Amino acid sequence: MPSKSDHELVPVHELMSDKEAKEVLESLKVSIENLPKILESDPQAKKLEAKPGQIIRIHRREGKHDMFYYRVVIGE
Amino acid sequence: MAEKNNKKYFVEYGEPVGIIAAQSVGEPGTQMILRSFHLAGIESTVATSGLPRIIELVDAKKKPSTPVTYIYLDQKISKNFDRASEMLKKINEVRMSNLARRALENFSKGKIKIVLDKQELESEGLTIRQVAARIEKDMGLDAQPVENGVIVNMHTRNLKEIRNTKIAIMKMLVSGVDGAGKATVRRDDDTGEFYLVSAGSNIEGIMQIDGIDKSKTTTNDVFAVYRLFGIEAARNSLAVELKKTLKEQKISVDERHLNLIADAMTASGSVKGVGRHGLSGEKRSVFARAAYEETLKHLVHAAAFGETDKMRGVTENILVGKQIPIGTGSVKLAIKKEDMSKVMPKK
Repeated sequence: MPSKSDHELVPVHELMSDKEAKEVLESLKVSIENLPKILESDPQAKKLEAKPGQIIRIHRREGKHDMFYYRVVIGE
Repeated sequence: MAEKNNKKYFVEYGEPVGIIAAQSVGEPGTQMILRSFHLAGIESTVATSGLPRIIELVDAKKKPSTPVTYIYLDQKISKNFDRASEMLKKINEVRMSNLARRALENFSKGKIKIVLDKQELESEGLTIRQVAARIEKDMGLDAQPVENGVIVNMHTRNLKEIRNTKIAIMKMLVSGVDGAGKATVRRDDDTGEFYLVSAGSNIEGIMQIDGIDKSKTTTNDVFAVYRLFGIEAARNSLAVELKKTLKEQKISVDERHLNLIADAMTASGSVKGVGRHGLSGEKRSVFARAAYEETLKHLVHAAAFGETDKMRGVTENILVGKQIPIGTGSVKLAIKKEDMSKVMPKK
């Protein structure tokens, strides 16, 4: 798991490999265009040097539970 | 066992979570104060509260009507009141017009004299010499410190130039962070630590200062958070602000409803409001958009450009009197394309 983020409001972002991304899409039974989006120019996406079409896994903490959220990188 | 228990809290398939969230926020919302009012007192930074604040958040207004920044300090500083107060001087936005008692222009000699208020100077921890040096450095002018102020020698007698320079000097930032506003020291009653609250939202500028806890400092300006930290932080900021506003009014709404609203508003990668120009205006169905606002515009546009409506939403199905795709209504009979050939004999 990637290291801690630099601000309380920013959860950990992790760039996923194409293989992992495919597995996640299959297990969630969604197509890539139905995922929430993140802009390529987003400060966190820039940090990971993400390219459009890749998926970023976000390590969220909701109440007492850890969970994953996924965003697909899109161009402007 | 744990997994079995966990499953109980999962949302059932077909549950209209959006509608439930809207109703769960809407009903207690009727009990909120409709107009934010200001209390007379020592508190210098009063953030908008109640319904006006909720509307502001949900409409994704570019600037909050009362921006507030919560500045947390490094551990060494936050325990000590005097050192925390010192930080104020680095942050407080002080312009020349706050310090000057008056500015006198001498057009025949081409000089501007700025008379400074001694008390104001003292409270900001500045000296006349420092102010003069700042004018020289920032404006590139010839400034001389004198007993009760600063004399700026323009070396010209052009009236327009002198007047414009005077106005520029009065607007000049003497100390602090541009757009940070006036800050005050507060004490956290639980931890006993001191933190600062300022009435501005230039969080980017404030982050540059030494001695600030960069991992905790936040603002109530969602767009400032979005610019600095990105969409996920903006989503968290939105959810936190919604929860805080409701809590202030002693209204308890399950936080998952508010998280859902924040998720929906940030799903496109940027912060979108929920109204006509945001989520509702971008619905895929023509009928759903037409039923909400600007009916004719949407119908005419759809007719002119040959849009199709797949009738998958709630609104459009109510409109035509069909069963709505919610709960048991969302189950449909379908067949895969490959299997179709097995059932249907080829001709």
